[in-house]
Amino acid sequence: MAIGAPKIKSIGAAQSPLLGAAMFGPAVLYIVLVIGAPFVLAVFYAFSDARIGSSGLHFVGLENFRSILQSPSFRTALKNSIVFTVCAQAIVVVCSGTLSIALEKPFRGRGLVRFLILLPWVAPVSLGSIGWKWILDSIYSVITWVLVWLHFFKPYNTPMWLGEPHLAMASVILVHCWRLIPFSTVVMLAGRTAIPKEIPEAAAIDGAGFWRTLFQINLPMMLPIINVAVLFGTIFTFTDMTVVYILTAGGPFDSTQTLPSLAFATGIQGSDLAAGAAISLFLVPVLVLIAYLMLRMAHRAEVV
Amino acid sequence: MAKRRGRGISRRDFVKLTTTGAIAAGLGPAMHFGQAPQKTLKILQWSHFVPAFDTWFNGTFTKQWGQKHDTVVTVDNINLVDLNTRAASEVSARKGHDLFMFLSPPAAYEKQTIDMTHVYQEVEKKHGKKIELGHRSTYNPKTRRYFAFSDAYTPDPGNWHKDWWAEAGFPNGPDTYDDLRAGAKKIRDKTGHPCGIGLSQELDSSMAMRALLWSFGGAEQDEQGNVTINSKNTIEALKFMKALYQESETAEVFTWTPPSNNQAMLAGRVSYVANAISVTRQSEREHLPIDSKIMISPALKGPVRRIAAEHVMNCYVIWEFAENKEGAQQFLIDYMDSFHDGFVAGQFYNFPCFPSLVPNLKQEIANDPRATPPDKYKVLGNVLDWATNVGYPGYATAAIDEAFKTWVIPTMFAKVARGDETPENAAKAAEEEYKRIFARWK
Repeated sequence: MAIGAPKIKSIGAAQSPLLGAAMFGPAVLYIVLVIGAPFVLAVFYAFSDARIGSSGLHFVGLENFRSILQSPSFRTALKNSIVFTVCAQAIVVVCSGTLSIALEKPFRGRGLVRFLILLPWVAPVSLGSIGWKWILDSIYSVITWVLVWLHFFKPYNTPMWLGEPHLAMASVILVHCWRLIPFSTVVMLAGRTAIPKEIPEAAAIDGAGFWRTLFQINLPMMLPIINVAVLFGTIFTFTDMTVVYILTAGGPFDSTQTLPSLAFATGIQGSDLAAGAAISLFLVPVLVLIAYLMLRMAHRAEVV
Repeated sequence: MAKRRGRGISRRDFVKLTTTGAIAAGLGPAMHFGQAPQKTLKILQWSHFVPAFDTWFNGTFTKQWGQKHDTVVTVDNINLVDLNTRAASEVSARKGHDLFMFLSPPAAYEKQTIDMTHVYQEVEKKHGKKIELGHRSTYNPKTRRYFAFSDAYTPDPGNWHKDWWAEAGFPNGPDTYDDLRAGAKKIRDKTGHPCGIGLSQELDSSMAMRALLWSFGGAEQDEQGNVTINSKNTIEALKFMKALYQESETAEVFTWTPPSNNQAMLAGRVSYVANAISVTRQSEREHLPIDSKIMISPALKGPVRRIAAEHVMNCYVIWEFAENKEGAQQFLIDYMDSFHDGFVAGQFYNFPCFPSLVPNLKQEIANDPRATPPDKYKVLGNVLDWATNVGYPGYATAAIDEAFKTWVIPTMFAKVARGDETPENAAKAAEEEYKRIFARWK
């Protein structure tokens, strides 16, 4: 009891409403200032005639939404955002799942391989994207140079990685995968190590092979953690504009434009803040759905 | 106590000393012992494509001006593609530089800038009238105020590879768009080298496409500011670009950023680009073997006229929230007195908006010892016969500014060139986009 008494006292202090509010306050303040205020401002702008250079605002109702829905660039950006996210996530899940299997069991140099795989996630996204821009450049691309050297292409008839719409979209998706695979691999590795060793061992004794163990034991048991990786990855991909902006700036002719990059191009570079804000609000329904799914998963995990 | 003294300093003395030191350090910069704080002037402009200009402007002129006016002048140079983003953030924060230089007419920012009529008047008293290009790029006829001050513009000539064009039957380079198409195809077929007219969402492509559009008689708007992009002339220009692209270009032109056509020309890859003299200035500076092969020609002649946009238009604004508005205005007025020094330091990149500032311009550029041959830049002597403003034949309005910055024109040309749209549909789509933008700025 002598040892337990102060423990009970400290729990009581933690339950004090004032202390609780004080500890919770910074988090609330952070969310209000960094997320809440800009979001409210975006909603406010989306229903106004705000321009970068204007000095006053007027309420214009749904005019901005009507205007951007007429824009072909917006329709392309909306479609691209979905294609970009779905394709990137599909590739990321398959690659990171494979890597997590390869990296699970010890082998010589595993530490170094893990370090190298993690590098793209650690490096600033802008730096990585600039590196890729040079790798895929129309004049100085090292990939193109190798392909020409191997006589796959003639010097002036090479693939333009960022110049052909489909190649450009594929390049944007692959660079994004390059960045996200390390994060997803780490999450999946954690999921795999959490599977009790007895279960796959018992399955092996019962005659289950690699694929059966993978699809009927490992993957179902890892599903909650895969969901976490996918949901985080979806948020990172759907809201990212750095890779698109640096690699293609939305080109060629808006064919790789996504909602965030178009919102930036319209609102900041094009001076039309209201239209930019309205475009960015189209991200919200998807993000709300993801947030709901994540909270639901977190709640389930608590119950379990 | 004696023991304490022997240790050098007491705890109380230490606290006193450090507290006094901290207060002095904190207040020090603000205390000038009776002197008025020195004025400051903050300038933001691009990192010039001819670095020698920045050396003169930052290291010589602004320092001399600052000493004369007891002002600390700071110049921040940033990449040209970041100018609009930086301007947006300064306006949103209502804080930033006193003088901000854009490279295209920033009409969308008019309400955030002070009227530059006074600056123009003062400069015109000393140096005579400004050119029409400067007027149309910085004046709003509706509000009757100048939202910017233009000291200089840069011509947008053609740069072509002498040997290849001579072999193709054009020893003096292409003079018309028909020459360009015929010669570029011959060179592409024979040597593989493509033509390098940009079709990307960036400044150089945007200017090149406007030149093509105007030369075929098309335009974004008429003199009264009505949208006119969907016309027969525009469709003809689109058809031409489609043919030129398919016969002589590669998809690299869709990927370009402003320096890309310089790089392609200097790498000996392309036969022709529409660009300022930064291409040849770089080859001279770096003593590249290709330097003597690259020649300069005026804007190409189209079926209707010979015309091109200025390549860049220096447009200085003074923010309405600037801290040193008077200093910024005086700086611009005084800068014009030294314009000729900048013209020489910038290796003729910045052409004057007040012709009397470089009275012997034709003679000066006709004999440049850096160039091979020395009269390489002579063709730019009559640049004002064919250079015009963004928004031609109207003014550079806020709607034109937004259309320019959202790349409507190069996007329209690129879609047709690649065959993703018919010329008719692309012109119609561009018309809808222009009408949408114009409606938002009414």
